[in-house]
Amino acid sequence: MSFLGSYLLLAAFVTCAYAIAASVAGARRRSQRLIESGIGAFYLIAAIMSVASSVIVYAFVVGDYSIKYVQRYSDSVQPLFYKITSYWGGLDGSIMFWVFLLSLFGSAAVYVNRERHRELIPYVVVVISAVQMFFLFLMIIHNNPFETYLTESPTDGAGLNPLLQNFYMAIHPPTMYIGFVGLTIPYAFGMAALITGYLDDSWVRAVRRWTMISWLFLSVGLALGMVWAYEELGWGGYWGWDPVENAGLLPWFTATAFLHSVRVQEQRGMLRVWNVTLVILTFFLTIFGTFMTRSGVVQSVHAFGEDPELARMFIIFMAVILTVSFGFVLYRLPLLRARNELDSWVSREAAFLANNWILLFSAFFVLFATMFPTLSEAVTGERLTVGPPFFNRWMLPIGLTLLLLTGVGPLLAWRKSTIRNLRDQFLFPVSAAVVTASVLAALGMRVWVSGLCFALCAFVVGTISQEFWRGARVRQRATGTDVFTALIGLTSRNRRRYGGYIVHVGIVLIFLGFAGAGFKQDEQVLLRPGQQAQVSDFVVRLDAVRVTDDGQKQMITAHTTVFRDGEELARMYPARWFFRKHEDEPTTEVAIRRTFGEDVYLVLAAFDLEEQSASMEIVVNPLVNWVWLGFGVLALGTGIALLPEAAFAFAMARMPANAVTTSLLLLSLLVWPAAVIAQSGQTVPTVNRGALERQLEGEILCTCGCRRPLNDCGMFSCQGRATQTAKLKGFLAEGQDHEAVIASFVRDFGSESVLAAPVDRGFNRLAWLFPYLVAAAALIGIVTTTRRWTRQVPPAPAGEAGLDPALSARLDDELRNLD
Amino acid sequence: MNSETSTDSIAAWQLFTLAGLVGATITVFVSRGQSTAGIIFLSFTIFTAAIVGVATWRTFVPFTGWDDQGRRQVFGGRTRAALEREKTLVLRSIKDLEFDRAMGKVSLNDFDQMSTRLRTRAARLIRDLDAGAGYRNEIEKEIARRIGREFQGQVVSAGSAIAETLPFCSQCGQRHGLEDRFCKHCGANIQERRE
Repeated sequence: MSFLGSYLLLAAFVTCAYAIAASVAGARRRSQRLIESGIGAFYLIAAIMSVASSVIVYAFVVGDYSIKYVQRYSDSVQPLFYKITSYWGGLDGSIMFWVFLLSLFGSAAVYVNRERHRELIPYVVVVISAVQMFFLFLMIIHNNPFETYLTESPTDGAGLNPLLQNFYMAIHPPTMYIGFVGLTIPYAFGMAALITGYLDDSWVRAVRRWTMISWLFLSVGLALGMVWAYEELGWGGYWGWDPVENAGLLPWFTATAFLHSVRVQEQRGMLRVWNVTLVILTFFLTIFGTFMTRSGVVQSVHAFGEDPELARMFIIFMAVILTVSFGFVLYRLPLLRARNELDSWVSREAAFLANNWILLFSAFFVLFATMFPTLSEAVTGERLTVGPPFFNRWMLPIGLTLLLLTGVGPLLAWRKSTIRNLRDQFLFPVSAAVVTASVLAALGMRVWVSGLCFALCAFVVGTISQEFWRGARVRQRATGTDVFTALIGLTSRNRRRYGGYIVHVGIVLIFLGFAGAGFKQDEQVLLRPGQQAQVSDFVVRLDAVRVTDDGQKQMITAHTTVFRDGEELARMYPARWFFRKHEDEPTTEVAIRRTFGEDVYLVLAAFDLEEQSASMEIVVNPLVNWVWLGFGVLALGTGIALLPEAAFAFAMARMPANAVTTSLLLLSLLVWPAAVIAQSGQTVPTVNRGALERQLEGEILCTCGCRRPLNDCGMFSCQGRATQTAKLKGFLAEGQDHEAVIASFVRDFGSESVLAAPVDRGFNRLAWLFPYLVAAAALIGIVTTTRRWTRQVPPAPAGEAGLDPALSARLDDELRNLD
Repeated sequence: MNSETSTDSIAAWQLFTLAGLVGATITVFVSRGQSTAGIIFLSFTIFTAAIVGVATWRTFVPFTGWDDQGRRQVFGGRTRAALEREKTLVLRSIKDLEFDRAMGKVSLNDFDQMSTRLRTRAARLIRDLDAGAGYRNEIEKEIARRIGREFQGQVVSAGSAIAETLPFCSQCGQRHGLEDRFCKHCGANIQERRE
């Protein structure tokens, strides 16, 4: 079995080489036969990878533990579903899965476009095959998933990491991978256009849909990862700015920027070089993300581990990508020169430019902050940590600016908005924002950032509803139907535009959820059966701590009842699961009561079976479900935007995304308030923590090796956290202030690497200063370039004089028939 | 040859699928004592092997020259479909622009400029479509046949009528498109001369 697998990988590698050779020769000699044969070979790679994949899944299913990979990531008691998903549970398999998905996606893209973009296809085959070749090469010489034990093979496997035995974790990696590999397609088309010199808008049209599909999968993948972190890691949040999370976010930013700037190229023929650059950058970031998570360059809880040899190969590959890609951009620069002209700063083009600036800056900032520890290690020899406090402080203004632009963009006209236009367009959205802000201020909203976010959300919703309303009115006048029919007609006629607006609604909902985090409350409490604790309006009573076993794992469950205003809301069962062979890393099974207002989130932090006591963490997370709902709406909007090109893409894109929303919605409904039972029991005060202590818990790292702040460590009975927390309490009891505590920790630990964000001093000042500098430099760059564009005299309009009247009449006819 | 090749290609495709199915079925009978999931995945592996067969055939058949003709014909139809699609896209863009104008977002001047650009592009596509084949004529014939009138052969294709209005190249005398920068026949720079 393993021999067959290794042989298949070799065969795929050889076929890649053949596909490249045949396509290049075919394209250069204009031999249709060679090109066709190259395409055939390209399909053949997908077929071979399918066989290889089914071989390894078969090995997992039947438990062929002579294969090292199978032995390491599965065992006989694992449920069938997780046996199959073990395929992508480890490093070697995930690389193979990557190639498998890329071959399928690539084949689909080539099949769909093989006639329409005939001139580009040979080079598309070449580029994708070259990428596949690199990953196949990695597998064959370094990470062969079919490698066997040389002498005797074990009788049972080690089992998949228990943290990964979760439904969301089973579907999160494939979704992310589809997003990642999908972004190879735009790159391949972009490169093919650069190589062949067919640099008109046709390649952009070919890749738009693929970028959108990949972007959708990437978004859904990120959302699934967030849901997984929220439900499985048990620290009450969903995004920890971990390097692996950031790796997924980086191409998301650049792909989003591309989806926006491509509109400018289509509509105005501008930004050609920029769009090619974005496609290259996006692809590069997907490879860079893979490199980060697999080479051990960054330290992360869910990276695959250190591997210098793999890192070296990735670095070479990345260098080749950058050199070749940008080499071609420079070579084709004369052909890429576009008629760039910016009529006014108050135009949609300018708004798109600002949007690109912010998105690219976000990507750069996240990349820089993620790599800063590695950078500081190289320069100062000390590995620092750049954690959530650093990211949150920076991303907050960036996110809010982006939200503002989401609302501003659609209101501006292409080319130039006049003052009258502006007044007319902005009146309603701005009023909506002002009213919201005033109402919130009157209600006594304390967290001003959240207040600002709510006001901006109102502004964007105002913009979008105005767009829908005015559009519907125009259509109503044109077609004479009622407003509702006009609204549906409007959306179905301009699916991309209105789908895009719906995506924006999704973004607003996500931001609503983010703003809710400002009102999060979390408390720790030690409870015995019958005792209860109050957090916010909720009272949590511990009823019992029970032990059960299902053969695969031992489960310790706290039985609790949650009350509000003396009425029983729900029974909740937070638990710890101890999987066999992984007893030292129990999983956290969080109990969550979901409503749209807030989540009650219970974590069983520690327990004592003899005393029947449970140390609980009780978190009240306001508005968090809007984040998931927002991702659902975003997926729906993308689905609508995808429709005009091909119905099947919509069907394909909608399925996983809506499945998520539906399941989450169903879940929210299922946990709706149940029967009313009288509340009784002795109330225990929660662990008293002051504001400064909470703040410092976010700034000082746990020392267990998780490299997360104290309030983030999800480890069971973590000794590192316990020691650090005790120390922190000691310092605070001595009356030390914020600076003094930080200094004490650094002194005790011997270096600044105990802090979650570098102190603003010496080389570390770079961390705080550099992003400002880059943002400013980019802004200056944009302003200078666009000023040059605005100075250019626009060429005289060609006029319709050249157009034949008969042809013009026919065009009018066709336009009439279109509706 | 043509009809034969198309039968051949379908036969090859069917042959491999059939082989895959037969192989998978045999596997189910042979592999006794395995779990159900194991048998399912084993059959699946056999079936994917059949797909490898189809793809290998697809890789080498272009060199045999069997399906050249068939493929070329398919090309024609496909290219036309692609052009049609592109035309629809451009027409939609024009509609979008008109819509923006109606919503008061675009000034009249800008609207005119952008509209002209798009209309020229649409016109070019229409012309390309017309030039493709006697496609329009075929439709006219069909319409004539259906409405019971005998086709007189007098319907002049709109395409050829438009072709009549196209300008000549000053270098070689052949007609060229309104938007062409270089002559398709002799390669002379038309734009330069135009200016």
